[in-house]
Amino acid sequence: MSHPVYDMVILGGGPGGYTAALYAARAGMRVVLIEKLSAGGQMALTEQIDNYPGFPEGIDGYVLSENMQKQAERFGAETAYAQVLRVDLQAEPKVIETTDGIFYGKTVAVATGAGPKELELPSEKALVNRGVAYCAACDGMFYRGKTVVVVGGGNSAAADALLLSRIAEKVILVHRRDTLRATKVYHQMLQKVQNVEFRWNSKVTELLHQQKLTGVRLTDVLTGEESQLDCDGLFVSIGRKPATELFSGQLDLDNGGYVIAGEDTQTNIPGVYAVGDVRSKPIRQIVTAVADGAMAAHMAEAFLSN
Amino acid sequence: MSAIHLSNEEFQKLLQEKKPVLVDYWAPWCGYCRRIAPAYDRIAQEYSQRLLVAKVNIDEEPQLAHAEQIEVIPTLILYKDGKAADFLVAPESQAAIAQFIEKNL
Repeated sequence: MSHPVYDMVILGGGPGGYTAALYAARAGMRVVLIEKLSAGGQMALTEQIDNYPGFPEGIDGYVLSENMQKQAERFGAETAYAQVLRVDLQAEPKVIETTDGIFYGKTVAVATGAGPKELELPSEKALVNRGVAYCAACDGMFYRGKTVVVVGGGNSAAADALLLSRIAEKVILVHRRDTLRATKVYHQMLQKVQNVEFRWNSKVTELLHQQKLTGVRLTDVLTGEESQLDCDGLFVSIGRKPATELFSGQLDLDNGGYVIAGEDTQTNIPGVYAVGDVRSKPIRQIVTAVADGAMAAHMAEAFLSN
Repeated sequence: MSAIHLSNEEFQKLLQEKKPVLVDYWAPWCGYCRRIAPAYDRIAQEYSQRLLVAKVNIDEEPQLAHAEQIEVIPTLILYKDGKAADFLVAPESQAAIAQFIEKNL
């Protein structure tokens, strides 16, 4: 299947991608957004979003996603549902090979997002929202009075354990080393909390479940000894991972794999912009993603007029 | 045409059909089920000539879900000649659903 040459091809249908689509379409550019599943990205899995301004009662992330898509499409942005297989961002026009044919773009906005790092255990994906979670701030409230396990040893794991200690009856922090990587402040705060226990030198090696998670199997990394831990929830907090495999060798990435670009979203390749969570930046939120989207559309417009 | 919502009875009837049947087992409280729903409806449209594409809400049809041994959702099962031929759990893209169908048709 052959597609026309677009002014802008956007990769990823989260808030950053659809905002780039909205602004680019309103600027009169011919725009296609390529999404592998459905609008919204990580946002679509969040039932209640309370920190996106303009919705005093909060808003369902799925609904917000659909609305962002509809709004961009109202101004003529197209959506193609396809998985991107390969890209050539140096070519002119830039080449995006997908499961639905090859797309060409004079500019490209990379808005492929980031996701939590997974443990990569069997059944993990299927147990999401059924005991396995990656965001204590989002899903913690479902575990009021229950027992939860937090995996990880960094600042975010420590923050999750603290937050959950105020909700859950018991929090067990599992870490593969014998001390936390988190800053001292967290150590002190965690020591003071009554209902947080630690399992050092341990890895979660199996998820025990029926319909929902019922517990985890731990393996002691020093002795190899296995033990079982009953729990209602497992919060995985072992870091995040941007979806940038497709671009390595073309776009400059930082140590974490994020695309290096400043607030103007410009990457090392002229006409290629990094939008939203995929960009190296200090805070990854819906509001910062949509800001990137507007910026990328503006930069692309300037690029095209030269 | 979007995917058809089935009751247990309708499911049993549909299995008698000559065409293969694809069923998405889901529930309203399942966030990822919601995310795949629009992609699943597009698949229903794309494959309407070759396949009957349906959905079963496991909260409304717990017996059926139990009989079909649905342990986690979303689970897609493809039935051929009235029997489960293959299944796919929590597909990560619309293309993954299409590949699953192509592999089995």
